[in-house]
Amino acid sequence: MIEILIIIIAAVWAIGTCVRVYRQARFFQIEEYMNLRYVRWVLASRTRWLINRTLIAWGIGAIFSFMFSEAPDGFLPGAIGIITAMIAVFPPDEGEIKKKFRATARAKRLLGASFAAAILFIVIGSLLANNALSESAPEIRVIVQGMIGFAAFLLAPIWLIIGNLLMTPVEAAFRARFIAKAGAVLAEINPVVIGITGSYGKTTTKTFLTHILNGRYKAYPTPKSYNTLMGVCIAINNDLANDHSVDYFICEMGAYIPGEIKRLCDLTHPQISIVVEVGPQHLERFGTLENTAAAKYEIIKELPPDGVGVFNWDNPQIREMVERGYPETRLTVSRTVDPAHVKNAIPRFVASEIVESLDGLTFRVTDTLTSDTELFSAPLLGIHNVTNILLATAAAVHERMTLREIARRVRDLKPAESRLVARTSPEGITIINDAYSANPTGIVSALAVLGMYQTGRRLLITPGMVELGDLMERENTRLGEIAAQHATDVILVGSKQTEPILNGLRGAQFAADHIHVVETLSEAVAWYQRNLSAGDTVLFLNDLPDTYSV
Amino acid sequence: MSSKRKTVIGVVFGGRSVEHDVSVVTGHQIMRAFDPERYEIIPIYITRDGKWYTGEPLNDLKSFRNEVVSLAGVLPVALSPATNHHGLIINPTAAGLFAKSTIKRLDVVFPAIHGSHGEDGTLQGLLELADIPYVGCGVMASAIANDKLMTKTVLKAHGIPMVDSVSFTRSEWDADPDRIIHLIESTLPYPFFVKPVTLGSSIGITRATDSSMLRSSITIAANLDRRIMVERAVNHPIEVNVSIIGDDRGYQTSVLEQPVSWEEFLTYEEKYLRGGEGMKSAERIIPAPIGDELTARIQDYAKRAFAAIDGRGIARLDFMIQRDDDTVFLNEINTMPGSLSFYLWVENGMQPRDLVVKLVELAQDAHAEKRRSTYDYQTNLIAVTAQRGLKGVKGAKKPASTS
Repeated sequence: MIEILIIIIAAVWAIGTCVRVYRQARFFQIEEYMNLRYVRWVLASRTRWLINRTLIAWGIGAIFSFMFSEAPDGFLPGAIGIITAMIAVFPPDEGEIKKKFRATARAKRLLGASFAAAILFIVIGSLLANNALSESAPEIRVIVQGMIGFAAFLLAPIWLIIGNLLMTPVEAAFRARFIAKAGAVLAEINPVVIGITGSYGKTTTKTFLTHILNGRYKAYPTPKSYNTLMGVCIAINNDLANDHSVDYFICEMGAYIPGEIKRLCDLTHPQISIVVEVGPQHLERFGTLENTAAAKYEIIKELPPDGVGVFNWDNPQIREMVERGYPETRLTVSRTVDPAHVKNAIPRFVASEIVESLDGLTFRVTDTLTSDTELFSAPLLGIHNVTNILLATAAAVHERMTLREIARRVRDLKPAESRLVARTSPEGITIINDAYSANPTGIVSALAVLGMYQTGRRLLITPGMVELGDLMERENTRLGEIAAQHATDVILVGSKQTEPILNGLRGAQFAADHIHVVETLSEAVAWYQRNLSAGDTVLFLNDLPDTYSV
Repeated sequence: MSSKRKTVIGVVFGGRSVEHDVSVVTGHQIMRAFDPERYEIIPIYITRDGKWYTGEPLNDLKSFRNEVVSLAGVLPVALSPATNHHGLIINPTAAGLFAKSTIKRLDVVFPAIHGSHGEDGTLQGLLELADIPYVGCGVMASAIANDKLMTKTVLKAHGIPMVDSVSFTRSEWDADPDRIIHLIESTLPYPFFVKPVTLGSSIGITRATDSSMLRSSITIAANLDRRIMVERAVNHPIEVNVSIIGDDRGYQTSVLEQPVSWEEFLTYEEKYLRGGEGMKSAERIIPAPIGDELTARIQDYAKRAFAAIDGRGIARLDFMIQRDDDTVFLNEINTMPGSLSFYLWVENGMQPRDLVVKLVELAQDAHAEKRRSTYDYQTNLIAVTAQRGLKGVKGAKKPASTS
């Protein structure tokens, strides 16, 4: 009898553990299958690894088992053990999920290995305990079984990590094969490869360059924000394979660790490389701006000697890259230099007479080498887009498009998804979405755009910027100060992480009764739906991934 | 495209046309004109019966003296209309253990086919489907220029002087020859030229000075084409030709040539075979000694006529001057002139090497221009129709179901 009950207890804990492992898996994915990053995330908050309800239910179960230990055959302690185990492992409501678990082949392999590790632990633990305690009282056996189950449940993150470690050689083999296939596809299709990197602005510049080049050629960009080695390989193997019509492969390259861009270049061999921005984005991973710049510079270093570098001259770190003198052909762009004062065509492409309005951007682009000049107008918000357009223009001119042809394409550019897109709701509220621009340059642009809406209240909803390392507090304070100039109301999402913004707002004497601090995005949305009306404007600044939720 | 990468040019020659052999020569002249440092040339040979081949031996004109397609290294190919292939499928029906079909992307296709199935818009149509830039006129301009009747109709409407003519179909001729003869004789004065409407070169064209010659001439022409044109013969014409390149952004004309043996008529042999290698060595006077005014007038007509058919790339326009009064008539437009009229452009200071590059650039520009137009227009028609059922769709006249 007691054996059956104990087996059921073990099974309940095993199922609960597996469910928990499954639910944790999506965070493991968000942390890109990196054990340390995941552990850091788990340990950042106690409730992430030690769930209150589980702890309490297990504790109460143990106490009750003792209290009712008089029952014959140990049925009652066993039943209590089962019920409390069920309560303990019952999956909690997950709340809002922004990034769902993706059941990729790799994720399935990981889950399989993790489940196996967890179940093996419970089975071996149970067998050992049963052998040792075969003569003990039933309640003791129930309690010990509960401890084994609780341990397995508590260690759910460990099972994931063990599963991940077990799968490492398997994944490495799969990866190597997948990368080799991507290399073969590229060799067969043989497009001209254009690499784009930067702390931010990569995806936007990629979208713009694709649109411009498509006016004359056929360009295929890496989709969305795919910018890791595997992401790029997926793009190549899924979409580029068997499409011989592609003239240009535009490859966004992310640098989350030094050496990553070099590996991407080894695969794709870019002929043209664009460096958009170097800034404090992901600073906590790099430590210093110099390290960030060094990682980005790989995209230039890996160019062949007859390759082409395209640089944002307005960024001091990138200007240093230009001055290193490689490769021979270096195209520079600026939106701050006066074209009349340019010497020796450095910077080469200059934007002047920049006018920003709610209808979009207009500016004059001058090729200081040829003195060719053309008026550009783009239906885009945000002055930083001038730089993105200039970078795309430089590459397109090198590929034999004329400024006039490019200007025509720029007229019908569309903003990249969720990047400073304004739309009007049925209630007449203008909603500006800038969910991805979590960077110091982007937010200045976005807030300036908010400031242009003068017909009503101007509400900023933001959880602040993250991953800026040591600069995070300073930059967020600055965000608060700038927001004070442009917004009439501010909703801060997440009381703890937005403290620096609050300080910035207070420092700028922003009216305290116009600042609202909430904990979730839904609350913020509910607030604006309640309080705003036609003519008002909302700016959403930086929607964070789930790993940053409190 | 980037400087490091060679542009891949597929030169298509041969073809299912009476001018097959001339096209092989023109194709080789074009292939030889390209700078091998900057261009990778893929020969694409279409046999007289319409089979497609590629391979190294096709680069050598000597290979064509014998059965070229049986040579080692000559592989069957198909030009795929699917946009993702963007070129050739080599070994399209590969079967067996070691056989493999492969894709060869072509950046630009250079049709070098004269006459039917190549100069007439059909090959151009395939290239439009495949979405590959190609040299020369588009589908419509090629089709019009290849059709003597359509050329006449369109150019007359644009005020270009054309010789008067009568046209009819083979079935009309078969039904009642006497009526046709009467119609011609009552409309136009003798002598006539009788021409098949769509055939290139001078094949099937005969001169008729009386009624019985007219009948036999029409019978010859009716064996070659479904439609026949009878044209008044211009008295002692001076024949002059001019080449043109460009597109609607601007056209440029070459110097004029005057073929020497205009006296009676250029026979096929005189036009192509004398002198061995193409038209280059045929006897001609360059520039044609007809005076500046007439030269300018013809060059102007050439530009207007080429624009009228929406021509682009290259063409050679053939004119006749009526000597008594210097009246000019446009005779025909060749959208793929023999030897690409290299010999005329050389006189303008443009070497074959420059001419082919210019033509490839025009092809790429035309393709870019095409990209400016939108073809993909998203509607929810299919979703809506699928939901409602096909009954509601226009044209489906079934009564509403009562069940």
